[in-house]
Order: sequence, then C-alpha cells, then structure tokens
Amino acid sequence: MFEFTRRNALKSVSCGFGYMAFAGLAAAASAREQSSSNPLLPRQPHFEPKAKRVIFLCMRGGPSHVDTFDYKPALKKHEGEAPGGEAGGQNSQKGRKLLSSPWEFKPHGDSGLLISDLYPHLAKHADDLCVINGAWTDIPNHPQALVQLHTGNFQFVRPSMGAWALYGLGTENQDLPGFITIKPPARLGGAQNYGSAFLPAVYQGTRIGEQGDSLSKVQIGNISNSQLPEDVQRKQIDFVQALNRNLADRQPLNSQIDGVIESYELAFRMQSAVPQVMDTSSETLQTQKKYGIGKGLTDDFGRACLMARRFAESGVRFIELTHEGWDQHKSLQSKLTSNCGATDQPIAALISDLKERDMLKDTLIVWSGEFGRTPAVRNQDGRDHNATGFSMWMAGGGVKGGMNYGATDEFGISAVENRFHVHDFHATTLHLLGLDHTKLTYRYAGRDFRLTDVYGKVADDILS
Amino acid sequence: MIPRLSAAIAFFTVLSAQFCITSLRAADEQAGIEFFEKHIRPILVSKCYECHSSSSKEPKGNLLLDTREGIRMGGDSGEAVVPGQLDDSLLLEAIRWEGLEMPPDEPLPAETIAKFEQWIKMGAQDPRDGKAALIRREINFEKARDFWAFRPITNPEPPASKSKWALTEVDHFVAAKQESRGLKPTGDALPETLARRIYFDLIGLPPSVEQTSAFKVAAEKDIAVAVENLVDELLASPHFGERWGRHWMDVVRYGESTGMERNATFPYAWRYRDWIIQSFNDDKPYDRFIREQVAGDLLPYDSPEQRRDQVLATAFLAIGPKSLNETNDEAFAMDVVDEQIDVTTRGFIGLTASCARCHDHKFDPIPQKEYYALAGIFRSTETFYGTDATNGNRNPSRLVSIAADGKVTQIATKGTGKGSSTAVVEKQLKAEWAKLRKLEVQLNKNPSVQNIRIQRDKSEDRVQQLSKRLKQQKAEAATTEDGTQTMAVLDAASPDDTELRIRGEANDRGDTVTRGFLTIGSVGHIPELDSSTSGRLALAEWLTQDDNPLTARIAVNRIWQHLFGRGLVATVDNFGANGDRPTHPELLDWLASDFKANGWSVKRTIRSIMTSRVYRLGGERSADAEEIDPANDLLWRANHRRLEAESIRDAMLVVSGKLDVTPANGSAVLDAGNGIIGRNLQTSKFDSDNTKRSVYLPIVRGYVPEILKVFDFPEPSMIYGSRDVTTVATQALYMMNSDFVTAQAEAFAQRLLDDGDLTDNGRVDRAWQMALARLPSEPERNDALTFVTQTSQSFESSESDSVRQKKAWTSLAQSLFASAEFRYVE
Repeated sequence: MFEFTRRNALKSVSCGFGYMAFAGLAAAASAREQSSSNPLLPRQPHFEPKAKRVIFLCMRGGPSHVDTFDYKPALKKHEGEAPGGEAGGQNSQKGRKLLSSPWEFKPHGDSGLLISDLYPHLAKHADDLCVINGAWTDIPNHPQALVQLHTGNFQFVRPSMGAWALYGLGTENQDLPGFITIKPPARLGGAQNYGSAFLPAVYQGTRIGEQGDSLSKVQIGNISNSQLPEDVQRKQIDFVQALNRNLADRQPLNSQIDGVIESYELAFRMQSAVPQVMDTSSETLQTQKKYGIGKGLTDDFGRACLMARRFAESGVRFIELTHEGWDQHKSLQSKLTSNCGATDQPIAALISDLKERDMLKDTLIVWSGEFGRTPAVRNQDGRDHNATGFSMWMAGGGVKGGMNYGATDEFGISAVENRFHVHDFHATTLHLLGLDHTKLTYRYAGRDFRLTDVYGKVADDILS
Repeated sequence: MIPRLSAAIAFFTVLSAQFCITSLRAADEQAGIEFFEKHIRPILVSKCYECHSSSSKEPKGNLLLDTREGIRMGGDSGEAVVPGQLDDSLLLEAIRWEGLEMPPDEPLPAETIAKFEQWIKMGAQDPRDGKAALIRREINFEKARDFWAFRPITNPEPPASKSKWALTEVDHFVAAKQESRGLKPTGDALPETLARRIYFDLIGLPPSVEQTSAFKVAAEKDIAVAVENLVDELLASPHFGERWGRHWMDVVRYGESTGMERNATFPYAWRYRDWIIQSFNDDKPYDRFIREQVAGDLLPYDSPEQRRDQVLATAFLAIGPKSLNETNDEAFAMDVVDEQIDVTTRGFIGLTASCARCHDHKFDPIPQKEYYALAGIFRSTETFYGTDATNGNRNPSRLVSIAADGKVTQIATKGTGKGSSTAVVEKQLKAEWAKLRKLEVQLNKNPSVQNIRIQRDKSEDRVQQLSKRLKQQKAEAATTEDGTQTMAVLDAASPDDTELRIRGEANDRGDTVTRGFLTIGSVGHIPELDSSTSGRLALAEWLTQDDNPLTARIAVNRIWQHLFGRGLVATVDNFGANGDRPTHPELLDWLASDFKANGWSVKRTIRSIMTSRVYRLGGERSADAEEIDPANDLLWRANHRRLEAESIRDAMLVVSGKLDVTPANGSAVLDAGNGIIGRNLQTSKFDSDNTKRSVYLPIVRGYVPEILKVFDFPEPSMIYGSRDVTTVATQALYMMNSDFVTAQAEAFAQRLLDDGDLTDNGRVDRAWQMALARLPSEPERNDALTFVTQTSQSFESSESDSVRQKKAWTSLAQSLFASAEFRYVE
C-alpha cells in the first residue's frame, strides 16, 4: 500500500513546486520521499565508506612522471647514456638516451614530499597528497590506455568506473545527474569512457561540453525551454501531471506511472538546480580569483574545478574533469610548463576549498593520465609513451597524505615496488567508496561482470 | 662461405653442450624429487589440497595442485609452476601474497617460500603422475541434456481447459496454468485500446483516428474477425519489417561504426539493415534467414539478385565492434572471431559460448575445446568491414563488391571523406614530389654531398611507389563503379582448423582443434563439415536443422516477448543454466514445433499469437489475482508496456503530420563516408533533421541519436534481445524542452487549428484521438479548455491573439506528447 500514500504525497506537493534555494537543494532532495523504482536512489555500500564522492582529474595524453612527481636523480648522473639495468634492456628502450628533468624537485610540507617546480601551488598541499609512483598499465597507446583507465578493459565495451560507482551507490541528489564528465574527448573511446555498456543506461555519465568548448558557455542538453517562461511551463507541467494522475487513478496498481510523475517533478527542479550549480559567477570574486578564473591560462580549468567543487557540494557522486594535451613528444619544456600552469592553481584551489568546507575527508580526488612518459628519449625536448611505470596521485577521501606509494626503477622506466596497475586503481577507488570490487557485479550474458574482471588488489598501505 | 661455416660450428657447440646436460640430468632429477618430497609435498598437502585437489568439493579457481599436470597447467589465472621460471610461476606470486594471497588465512613463512623458489629453480621435479585433474573437468553430456533447454522440442497436445474463455491453442496452454493456480483472467481490452496495441506491436506506429474508429465498428460486429483482419492487413504493410527488423537489429548489435577506441565509420552497414527489413516483410522462412546471415556467400542461387541479397546478409558477421588500434594481429583476429561466435550463439541459440574462450564454460556444458572448434570456422572466414588504412587505423579492411551478374570481388575501401585512402596517397605523392624537386635543386648546387644524393634516391623510390599505389587504388575504385559495395564475409583462401588458446591468450597456442559444433546442441544427424571450406555452411545447417533443441525455441520466445513485453523465458538471449526457466514450457514447445512445422514463418506465428484471447486481455488488475501472481507471470492481464524509443519518436511524427514514410536511401553515415569519428569526421555529420522512421536514423556507436538514447536504446555494441525500461528525469527534460518535441507539438497544434470546421471542444477531442486513440473524459475536456485559455492569457499582451492561441495549443499538444499515456501501451 506504499504506493497509495506516496501518490497522495505527490499530489499534495506537485502543484506548489517552484523555485528552491540552492543552499538547501541537497538536503531537501535527500530527505524527499522517493519511488522504489528509481534506480538512482542512494544505496548502502558494502561497508562503511571513506569517500562519498570522487573527483577524477584526467590529464589526457600522459603527463611526464619524471618531470612532476617521480624524482629520478640518476637521470642527471647518466644523462645521455643508454638506459641500463633490467628495464633498460627492454626493446622499447633501444636507441634511447636518458634525459634528466629540466625542472628541480624540492621537498614540500612536513612530509617532505618531492614535487617538481612545475607545481608551486599544489606543492603547498603536499601533506594531503598520496603520490603513487608505481602505477602501470598494459598498452602504451592512447586509445587503449585511456579506455582501460576508464573501464578496465580495452578489448571489449565495458561500463566506465563512474557508471559502476553510480550503479553501486546511487546518488545523493536526485536533482542533479549522479555522474558528470566535463569536456571529455570525443575520440579515444569517446562516450565509452563515461558509458554504461551493459549496465542500465541511467548510470552513464552526463557530458557537459566537449573538447574545445569554452566552459563559460556550455550547458547540459534540454535543461531549459526556449519558448515558455518558467511560470507558464510550470502550468504546463501541472497539466501533464493532472493527466498522469488521471491515468494513475484508472490504473491504481501501476507503479510505472508514479515513476513518470516523479520524473517530471525532478526534471523541473533540475532545470533550476543544474544551471545554478554550474553558474560559477555567483561565487565571490576572491574565490574565482583563487581558482584562476579570469586569467587566460587558468580560466577554463579553473571554472571546471570550481564547478566540480559545487557539484561535489550538491551531492554528485562522480565528477570527472578532463584536461587535454599532455602528449609531449616534442616541446616538453614549453608545453609541460603551460599544462601545469593551467592546472596547478585550479587544482590547489579545489583542494583548499574542499578542506575549508571539511569535505576533503570524504571526497576522493584522483589525478592521473592514461600513462606516463619515457625517461629515455630520442628527441632532446620530448618524451614518448611509458606504460610500464608512471605516477598518479590521490588526495582526501580516506587516503593517507604526504606519502609516496610504490616506486619505479632508478630511471623511472618500470614500476618495481608496490606495483599499482589500473585494475588496482579501480579496486582501491571502489574500496574507498565502500564497495568491494569483487562483489560489485552485474549479470549480463549469463555471467557476473566486475569493473576489475578477475584482477585488482586494494592498496591497503595507502588507506588512512 | 665464412658465415655459414661459423653457424655450423655454433650448432655443434650447442649440440655438445646438450649432451653434457643430458648426462647430468638423471642425478639432478633424483635430487629434485627428493627435495620435492621433503620440502614441497608436505606443504601442498597441508596448506593447499583442501581447496586445490581432486578431493576438494569445488576446486577454487579451477586449480588442482595434486598432480604434476595440474600444477603445471594451473587454473584460471595461468600456469602455477613453470620449471626454472620464477617470474612465470604464479604459485610463487600467490604464496608471496603479491596479487593473489595464498594460503588465504596466513602467509607461509619466508623460509618455506624460499624452498618453493629453490624447487622451481631446480626444475620443479614432481613425481606425481596422473590425470585426475582432467577427468574431473570432462562434461557429462548425457546428464547435461536433462536440462530443459537441451531436451528435444516436444509437440504437446494443448490441454483441455474448462473455461469458455480460451479460444486458440495458445489460450488453452495459458488457461490451464491459470486454472491450476486459481487465477481468473481479467476482461478483454477496449477496442480502441486493442487497436492501438495492435498497430504499435505490428508496425510501431499509432493508428489514425479513422483507423481506430473503423476497427471499433468491425469489433462491434465480431471482435475475433476484426482482430484477424487487422492483423493480416498490418502484417502485409511494409512498415511491419521496419518494426520487427529493428527488434532483430538489437540482437545483432547493429551499428554503423567500429565503436571502441578508434571509431571508424561503416558507410555500408545500412545495406544489411535494409536486408533485415526486407526479410521480415517477405516473411523469409526463419531457417533461411539464419542460413543467409551465417553463410549467404556459400549458398546456391537462382539469380544475380538472390546472390546479391545472400552475400550482403553476411554483414551480420562483419558489423560488430572492432578494436582498430590493436597492434597484435593475432589478438585482433581472435577478437573478431570471438565477437562472431558471440553473436551467432547468443543470437540464434541463446548460449553464451564466448564464455568458453578462456576456460570451459562455468555453468553450461561448453568445453573450451568446442569454442575453438567454432573459432576454426570463423578463422577460416575473412571479414570485410571496410575501414581504410588512414588515420591511425592499424587494422584496415576491404569491402566486397557484387557485380550486376552476381560476381563477387574484393575491393579496396574507397574512402569518400577527406581521409580516404586515395586522397591520402594523392596528398603524400604531392608532398614527395615537392621534396624530390627540392633535393634535386640542392644536389645541383652541391653535387658532391653524398647525403643529399642518398636522400634524393630515396625520395625518387618513394615517388615511384606512391604513384604505383595510387594507380592501383584508382583502378580498383573504377572497377567497382557499378557493383554493389557491401560489408560481408567470404571464405578465407586456405581454411584450416585453429589451435586452442591457453587461457584465451591469442598467441599462447595449445592443441589444434578440429572444426565442429557444440556437442550440447548436436542431436540426430550432424552436418558434415567440408574441411576445404570454412565450414560456415555446415554451421548454418547445424543451427537450423530440425533436431536442434534451441533455435526454434529461441525464435518463438523472442516473438512472444515483443507481443507481451516479456518472453516465456525472460532471459531471451540466454537459455543456459544462468538464464531463467520458462513460465510455460509446454506452450514454448508447442509454439516452437508449430513454427518449424509451418515453414519457420515468423508472420504465421505472430498471427497465431495475436489472434488469441490472451493477447486481447485488458490491463485491469484485480486484488485477488494480484495476490496470487503479482508479476503477471501467468498472463492474467495485459502488461503495461513503455513504447520503444523509435515508436515514441515515430508516433510524435505521425501525430504532427511530419512523418516521411518512405524508406531511407542509404544512411547519414554513407554520406559522411569513411573516417574516424572525432578525428577527421565531426559528429555533427550525423545530426540529421530527417523525419523518416527512426529505424533509418544513423546508429554510430557512441553517438546514438539523442531521443533514442534517452529512451533506453540499447548500447549498439552489445547483443541486446530485451531492452531496459527506465523512467528518469532526462526523459522528462527531453519531452519538455527539446527542439524536436517542441517542433512536433507546434505542427500538431497547427493541424488542429487548420481545421476550420472544428470548435475548441472538437479540437480537444481530435487532439486526444490523434495522440491517445481515445476521446477525453468530460473533466479532461474541461481541464484542457481551461488550460488553453489560461495559457494563452499568460503570454504578453503585446502578442497577437492568433499567436497566443497557437502557443497555447502548442503547449497542450506538447502536454499530450509528454503524458505517461502517450508513451505506454496497455
């Protein structure tokens, strides 16, 4: 008889819905009674989670680890030599000469974490960063590696990490999409990187803008009506809902109609909620400046980071931001400088903002590319793809700060200690969200599928 | 002579070294065995056998450590022990707790682990002979055939049901089940409800106002005759194939690009789409429908047209997603094969044979060996999917061309876009010419610089190569001018068996497996596989032979699903152990044998189901019945079904009067040409404002048209026999705000206003009839009139009366599109 009471409840509220203040959105949404048919409702994780949400900073192209987070003094010592040792013996290293980093590494924070001069702002948060130096992936090609980073598998079409998270946990705020990806690439797997594959379509990511768009202008599709003023549209929705309730009265046991009724109320609320959350101009000038908004180099990614903070505050489960152009086969010095320059201040602002709001403790920030870059080069100012070892970092949401986890060999070619495969990254991320990667399964084609397939190991050492 | 001599010396050196090794071997072996008995066996017995021996109930990870063979072969993760190879021995990884953590409770002491390392280094001597491991894994097919889906299809007599309710054989099966549970079916649906249901079910379009009333008149005379006549009329409509063809396109993961990490277009996939639609319209016998898709290129033919149709049917095997950036050729080839096995087995016989790629099937009686028996068939087949070699495509493919006389040739993929192969070569040639000229000038100035001369010569060679290639490509393109270009498969030049791949690793070859079929589906006569061909023809025969227990069951179950919203077996693509059991096994068998006995006619089976009483039921629920069977498994009422995305869009276009009912000629993907999406093809190429039926919209993997995606269109890389139905806010946003819906609402309103004879009351009635196939109730009519008046008043008074009227009626029209009733059929 649950449906009858719920239906009555909907009847009483649906006429009066209008504008709702931004600040109260998340709380109001989670408190609201929901239909049991909504697959996006919050669900119990497998165990107490450390992180409630993820902000994934995807540095597309493969940032150079030995110039950023993986300090390799041996490169200087053996500058210009062919890389020796076990890793240097690999075929991929033939004809290459070691190139030391043109940037200096200095210890930062109480932990003395070594970070290169490319990240002066981020370095101030050294004690929050868990730098994973032993990361590795299967294939040193962008298309496969990017898809594997997102779905665990480049061989077949599989659900993305965000879709799995949403499937496992639902989302806190029904007025916003639960999985948002800002400016993802259209190629290299394209929508596969935020797709749901065999998981129900509701779990796929909602895309905001695409590569090349200016974030100050983009919007989610169909979020506003170009013809009707809001009050007139409200009348229209009331009329639609009256039709729907008539139908519901004729079919008292058909809960599908309740679902439709609810979807219109949610949609109407989304229309105001989404643009409000995306509107970074409502932040103080000081905050905007902190993110680098208004400065040419940092403006766009600054907006993305500020938007991410606002989405996180509003209860979005999985937020991904892509920053393009880390494929430095050439112009390492100039391009890496500008990439880091464009992202350093915004990311630092995101961390400090979340901290101020006491949200860093349950927000997992992940920074990673699809692989790293070769310490030994053929071109004096460029590095190639390195899949056998690279660096990523995590912060907040249940990971220890101020630490390095794992290591590459003396030159940074291969991960040798606490090797952390992309599958391990997935297992660990799900673990932080309170999900056991071996138990988060979905039955398709007669068998149970996992994000980590038969692989993946949680890196216990980095859990706080 | 000198190099050869030194090679010979080297050979003898190796040989003599080998002699030394052999003479030492016996002693080593004995020491190794002693070491094993002393240090290794006790640990294996005490720490491992509980879960990893032939005496354990269910060996974990298929790993058996109680024989030499078992420990060497390893389990699901790979070889446990490789003599002499510490890094390759997974057992070490496991006991070191690196990755796998074994034994799970507590790691072994470091010195024990060191012993294992030493033992493996010494050559992992192991005296434990025996094949216990293998015997355990043997499948007992006799026993496996007890499973319902593998039993022969029976032809049960319809049970006599007591009630007068049952009209047809189908009804008798349904009624008997209901009676056994004390269930009473609800009343028949109203004629207008039924008309709407029949139209959507058969052609995917709503009835017009006139069609609904004609059916009502006929139904008043004789409902049974009225249904029969309407069903016959719609089965004969060309729109039938557009509806039922789309169902099949879900199963065969129809898509017009490779998808995956390099998403290249398939400009000719639409030919297969058209072939599917035509096949359903022609009521092509379903067994032939299968044979043409699996082996159309190998079938005999009477005319060039037939030849052409049969060859392009094989695009079924070519349109799957492909990982074009795969660098390992063997892996790429085996992935294509895997995809072909998957679609063939799940599509036609509802078995997940692909699960047996890496190991024996975990749940169904499919040994890994039999997967490779099938793989041999597809490895002996060449797949022509037509993506050109530009833009980082590491796995390009040709197309086939079918000439007017039916002759089939392989042709280069003729790109049409900027990245086409001809255009690229032309560009390269031009650049090379420029370079050559420059080098000539340089060389004239510095004739003594050797380096320039070398470069000049190189460049000259390259110009020659490129010119030759260009000429060849242009010639190939020219010979295909009047042929039908299509995706297809053909037998490979030298068909052969393939090897089992250990753990599915493409390059890790085991024993060669003779091509063949799945034992579990092989009953009675087994078609002979001519080993000088791929074997696809025999496979097609095997799939469609009368004794096959699965094919006909799968087919009629799919049909049933599309008429009732759920199959008699809910997991339509999986009849294996992990699938659901049939709610009405006898009915399923009766339908299947009736289907086979009557020439595998899809239309006939549809007709026999739709003329039943159970199809005619209304959706009304009774509390009593709800109590007994809340899920409506026993079909005591009609299910409320959400329309598919295509029907929602098409219905709006019908009501707005904008639907262009003519079939598409090609596809937006053909117009876009060859290319990689996001690289040299922009996705905007596929935004089409055409108003043809949705089945003709371009289905580019990753870029499915918005309206389809919003309403649960299946991922086109996946085999998807039954769609999800979700109800989410993005659908509401689409109905409220999208340009498409707004435009259709405007056109709908204009139609209502254009009819000058109508009063506002009449307009409301008409709107309801057009959109919902019924008249509004009195209160609904009043509400609608009030809504229109109020809405028109809420617009700026500066706007003219007629503008405000139009806007108000548009808002009403949109409301009807947006209503739940519009998108559900009862």
